[in-house]
Amino acid sequence: MNSILIGGIGNVLLGDDGLGPYVIRLLESQYEFGDEVELADLGTPALDLTHRIAGRRGVILIDCIASEEHLPGTVLLYDKAALLSAIPTQRLDPHSPAVSECILTAEMLGASPENAWLIGVVGASFEPGRPLSPTVRGALWKVVDAIGYELKRLGVKLEKRLQADELGVWWAEEVGSPAYTSS
Amino acid sequence: MAKRITIDPITRIEGHLRIDVEVDNNAVSNAWASCTMWRGIEKILRGRDPRDAWMFTQRFCGVCTTVHAMASVRSVEDALKLEVPLNAQYIRNLILIAHALHDHIVHFYQLSALDWVDVLQIPKADPAATSKLAESLSPWTRNSRNELKAAQDRVKAVAASGQLGIFANGYWGHPAMKLSPEVNLLAFSHYVQALEYQRKALQVVGILGSKTPHIQNLTVGGVANAIDLDSQSALGMDKLEMIRSLLDEVTQFVQQVYFVDVCAVAAMYPDWFKIGGGVKNYLAVPDLPLDSKGSAYDLPGGYIHNADLAGVKGFQTGSDAVFRQAVTEDVMHSYYKGEKPLHPWEGETEPAFTGWEGEQKYSWVKAPRYNGEPAQVGPLAQVLIGYSQGHALTKKYTDMAIDKVAAIGGVRATPAALHSTLGRHAARAIRACMLAELAQKHWQLLVDNIAKGDYSVYNQPVLPSHEVHGVGTHEAPRGTLSHWVVIKDEKIKNYQAVVPSTWNASPRDHSGVHGPYEASLLHTPLAKPEEPLEVLRTVHSFDPCMACACHAFDPSGRKITTAKIL
Repeated sequence: MNSILIGGIGNVLLGDDGLGPYVIRLLESQYEFGDEVELADLGTPALDLTHRIAGRRGVILIDCIASEEHLPGTVLLYDKAALLSAIPTQRLDPHSPAVSECILTAEMLGASPENAWLIGVVGASFEPGRPLSPTVRGALWKVVDAIGYELKRLGVKLEKRLQADELGVWWAEEVGSPAYTSS
Repeated sequence: MAKRITIDPITRIEGHLRIDVEVDNNAVSNAWASCTMWRGIEKILRGRDPRDAWMFTQRFCGVCTTVHAMASVRSVEDALKLEVPLNAQYIRNLILIAHALHDHIVHFYQLSALDWVDVLQIPKADPAATSKLAESLSPWTRNSRNELKAAQDRVKAVAASGQLGIFANGYWGHPAMKLSPEVNLLAFSHYVQALEYQRKALQVVGILGSKTPHIQNLTVGGVANAIDLDSQSALGMDKLEMIRSLLDEVTQFVQQVYFVDVCAVAAMYPDWFKIGGGVKNYLAVPDLPLDSKGSAYDLPGGYIHNADLAGVKGFQTGSDAVFRQAVTEDVMHSYYKGEKPLHPWEGETEPAFTGWEGEQKYSWVKAPRYNGEPAQVGPLAQVLIGYSQGHALTKKYTDMAIDKVAAIGGVRATPAALHSTLGRHAARAIRACMLAELAQKHWQLLVDNIAKGDYSVYNQPVLPSHEVHGVGTHEAPRGTLSHWVVIKDEKIKNYQAVVPSTWNASPRDHSGVHGPYEASLLHTPLAKPEEPLEVLRTVHSFDPCMACACHAFDPSGRKITTAKIL
């Protein structure tokens, strides 16, 4: 198993919630990673996230943030201690085991990741079928910078490719459906 | 006077389940199930190429990705009258089975076992006595004193840290918890092992689908797996053997651990065979096709009206004409515009949000109806429909479960006792055993078919320019899933997904008739209304999955699920 995971979380069909998977495509198409790093579009994971992160040296998750305190587009960083300070909720459905619970489950199994960060951007719009909002798009380079910074702490350099691949964000191709017309 | 309790895990912006119950004299006197966010995802499919729809639909939900992909390709194949080669059917079936086994294991252990198992009793258990008890129940080799002691130590370590970590929010010490410390320990030890085996099931999905959580190998008309027995990169003997050995391990866990634990819990909580019934109309579609046309299946489907098992009506195919005509969706109590119930092909999804108004509109979930009536879907529906049609495999494991419960608890359950909260858990374990056996069968069918020299995996779809309609069904882990597509000028004109949790979490309809979650909660006794554990037990028994939607991380509002007494 690669010792470092960079995982994008979010639903690509719901506007800014697709940030995580988008960033993964961006990294895949423009940067070079050695054997140590695994890039993964995790969608909206539930408890299966536990095994993605268990036993890793480093985990960097990219997700969209819901916040009433911060303005849309704000980039926020949470370390493992901050993620673990959240109290698990009563589970009503399989989506409830979220990031914090998966780290806690890995911890119970004795396989807590050594380092974990969640890099998030406060979302502006979660409308179905919309691409990333300009506000969140404007924060992308800060997210890539933050990933590079955490990778450096883990002793890994973020290197740009000489020639970039096509971005290939298939879900954002517009077809003129009604969901694209507003705002 | 009745007081209202709201259970609402207000933690994310994603759509989630909210339950409101009115409690009178320590029993539920009225109930509302609602979903708190609009999906409306189907609309974004309009105008797209129907061959691409599955890639979008598998993003509806992060837990059930494959099932929405499968229902989508089947809907387009139905519209185009396109046959699917045998290899593709078997490969799809193996993916569906492996996903369902993963899902059922996680559902019982990680999502509902702790409604019955009191974690804080575990430190009091004697591991040696627990091991002896375990040996009397099952031949499972991982019930040794040492293995149980290790599980107990995990709980002790978490408890000693002063915070309960992953167990911080449970109704521990609740008067409705009845298991001995030893049974609590045994179940918890399997909770830990379940994490391993659900993952093995998921690995099968990954090998065949080439990636998880989003599989890559589907295509309208078949699958994109290249078959070459001698190759390591294509689907060859190496990968097939790997799949076989993973399925063997998962099968053992399901039959020797999961099935036994469910029977043991049932034997020790016999009252719960009388609680949580509710809607007794049951719906299931046939699945696991055995031929390219989809005319013979390994799992039967049909409809049972008002608990009349003898009067069961079977479905011939996954898109049976009887089923196609019977489904409508009602929005009287849902946050959508519209007057009369509509067939999914005519379905509309125009929001009309009002806020929670129990007597008016109160949910984002529509109310699907079968011949105008609510229907319960899921493993219980499937088991009852199979059992009442004399389906041999269903009968085998159902009878085995009844015998096992009787052997442990001395009480012999009748098929009527299955209309209950425990019946839903038992049926899911029965279904898991059936699927594990069928996994072996479909693996062999695939290998034998390839050995005959048939490498075909795909039939080319041809899109007509005139308007065509299709329905793609799948008997998913939570029950009957149907995707309804209308295609015109080679583009999607309309698309609706009627998902299992929509059937079960349905709000009232225009006649005021409760949906299955709501009906199942009526009359449930509550030992301690401020800790409504009994409500959670019944809601969890359906395996609810509401969040086919958004999942943004919320750092501030991670409150404990509130059981608000209003």
